[in-house]
Amino acid sequence: MIFSELYSAYYNTVAEIISRLLEGKASEKELAAIVSEKAFGESALTILPALKSGRWQLLRRDMTPVIEHTPTMPLTLLQKRWLKAVSLDPRIKLFGAEFPPLEGIEPLFYPDDYRVYDKYADGDDYEDEAYIGRFRFLLAAIREKTPVKINVTNKNGKNVYAQCIPVRLEYSEKDDKFRLITSGCRFLPVVNLAKIKSCAKYNGERQIRASYVVPRYETITLEITNERNALERVMLHFAHFEKRAERLDSKHYSVTVKYEHGDETEMLVRVLSFGPMVKVVAPERFRELIKERLLRQMACGLE
Amino acid sequence: MSAYNELIKNFERIRAYMREFYVFGFKSREDYDKKSARSYDDERRRMESFFGEHMSFLRTPEGKTVFISIDSRTSRHNPFYNAWKAKSFTDGDITLHFIIFDILHSEEIKLTLSEIMDCINEKYLSEFENPQMFDESTVRKKLKEYCALGIINAEKQGRKVFYLRAQSPDVSGLCEVLDFYSEVAPCGVIGSFLLDKCRREGESFAFKHHYMTGAIDSGVIAALFEAMRGECAVTAINHSRKKREPEEIRIVPLRIFISAQNGRQHLLAYVPGQDRIKSFRIDYLSEVKPAGSTPRFRELREHLDEMQKNMWGVNTGTGKLSKKKLEHVEFTVRAEPGEEHIVRRLMREKRVGEVEKTGEFTYRFSADVLDSQELTPWIRSFVCRITEIKFSNRAVENRFKSDLEKMYRIYGIEKGAEK
Repeated sequence: MIFSELYSAYYNTVAEIISRLLEGKASEKELAAIVSEKAFGESALTILPALKSGRWQLLRRDMTPVIEHTPTMPLTLLQKRWLKAVSLDPRIKLFGAEFPPLEGIEPLFYPDDYRVYDKYADGDDYEDEAYIGRFRFLLAAIREKTPVKINVTNKNGKNVYAQCIPVRLEYSEKDDKFRLITSGCRFLPVVNLAKIKSCAKYNGERQIRASYVVPRYETITLEITNERNALERVMLHFAHFEKRAERLDSKHYSVTVKYEHGDETEMLVRVLSFGPMVKVVAPERFRELIKERLLRQMACGLE
Repeated sequence: MSAYNELIKNFERIRAYMREFYVFGFKSREDYDKKSARSYDDERRRMESFFGEHMSFLRTPEGKTVFISIDSRTSRHNPFYNAWKAKSFTDGDITLHFIIFDILHSEEIKLTLSEIMDCINEKYLSEFENPQMFDESTVRKKLKEYCALGIINAEKQGRKVFYLRAQSPDVSGLCEVLDFYSEVAPCGVIGSFLLDKCRREGESFAFKHHYMTGAIDSGVIAALFEAMRGECAVTAINHSRKKREPEEIRIVPLRIFISAQNGRQHLLAYVPGQDRIKSFRIDYLSEVKPAGSTPRFRELREHLDEMQKNMWGVNTGTGKLSKKKLEHVEFTVRAEPGEEHIVRRLMREKRVGEVEKTGEFTYRFSADVLDSQELTPWIRSFVCRITEIKFSNRAVENRFKSDLEKMYRIYGIEKGAEK
């Protein structure tokens, strides 16, 4: 059962409070900080008062724990089964992680129990040893904040060298690809991992200053005509963006979506896929992009 | 009337509210008032607690609307997992939990129920002026519950039963694995529970095109996986939008279909009463319960494997299992020199079917599928270069063309404007 108090933020918070108190005296402010960090917005109203009042009989009046050992809980069967399932995923090779022994544990699911049916077919090759090597090297560099030198094939097919600080690996399930997000290299803020031909620790003299290229955001306002369940389909489709929606009347809705400028073509294609159920209201520039495509379609002479 | 509690007893209610607030987000308090205004206020307050900065509101002529808005690309971890970590419990539950694991603090300690009882009363609760009273049946029940969850083992020696802490694998070396899979694997919330043990927030990964909504259906998905592993049928409540009232269904779950493009998750299941394999929206399902094993599971899954060769999405068309009809669909696009990316798009985005070069600058996609209607959103994404289109299902073709005409009208494009 997933929904259990054993996994709850409250249990984790109390475990952390007891651990801290066993290490030595902690001030009330420090304990409140633990609650604020590990639990929810209003948890402060419950956790410390319950411990202090003896409603939860775990701390004495002087705030020393009756518990003698740092609280730990073994993994539940559900956690072990999920771990076993993850150990069977094809992407796990990327990590080279040593899994603890899980003999006799039935996986919660096998790869054949589910299917991501609409991911693109040209995803990264997770069997490629060279790719795996670069993935592990860059992940370690991210962890250790080490500057690296990378050799990339650019979109014109040319070799490009760049020095940067690797910040994050961004994964897209739809593309089934990893991208490296960098800092300190303005001309290569993001690069597909599969396009990196080689990478090594940067030992050069130039000091690479961390400077993250802040993405440029755009907004688009769409009007949805709720036919053929379009409202739900559109809202779910764009659910992963920051957005806000309004009802205009019983059949029409307005939704404003914030997206990265670099994804504009993808956004255009996504809007077009909804056909007449979705109309671009603003900005005018985006409307013109749609109109231009429709005019070109009209010229295709489709009967 | 009980006082407000930040924690949740029943996940189903907040599951429905979270979906409304996140996916739609345009409803005002009055829209929810049908059942209980207090319930709305309580759930909204809980979500403010769980989602913090992700909660927003908007004043509209209809009133104030509250919604959840998250850019999943900048959010390192799925905030919906918070709701799964908010299960309510009693004062006795939490007290007993920490005391039991303190008594059984190492794997070598084995104690009987009465020894555990003595320890609880003499060593721990005696410190308090008004100690909580735990009777033997409460502690036995708790130990039994923990045995079922795999965190305590019970060992029988003669007539005595000894309880000991279960052996636990060390996951401290798996933080990056958990960091990644807690976001991408089904039931990733379980990975998030494990990550909570790592004491280190991973920051190595980010996620694009990341649909977080599925997290709220993790309980249903876990129950469906459980049924598949046991080759079982299940009963469930289906809140399909096509039916006025929720209905109980009995089905054989065969596979979960997850979309990376539209945020929906479906169950493909066999419906014995109709002799059909059908898709069910997972967010419409609740109360999944095992309903006996079925000897046909493997045969039915093989049937689904065969059907998948002609499925674009999740629809399996009409007709019974043995009488599936295929629909043909083909369309041609123009890709001029310098537009090779269009050909690459066709190749990587097609899920079934073939792409062939039919002219100097034209390429044709063709496929036989169980439901050709499912391809229309994808075909529309090539608008501006479609030169031919044919569906064996004429109704789908006519609708595609009339939709295109509507789009011209919506944007004020008149016939002849292209010249």
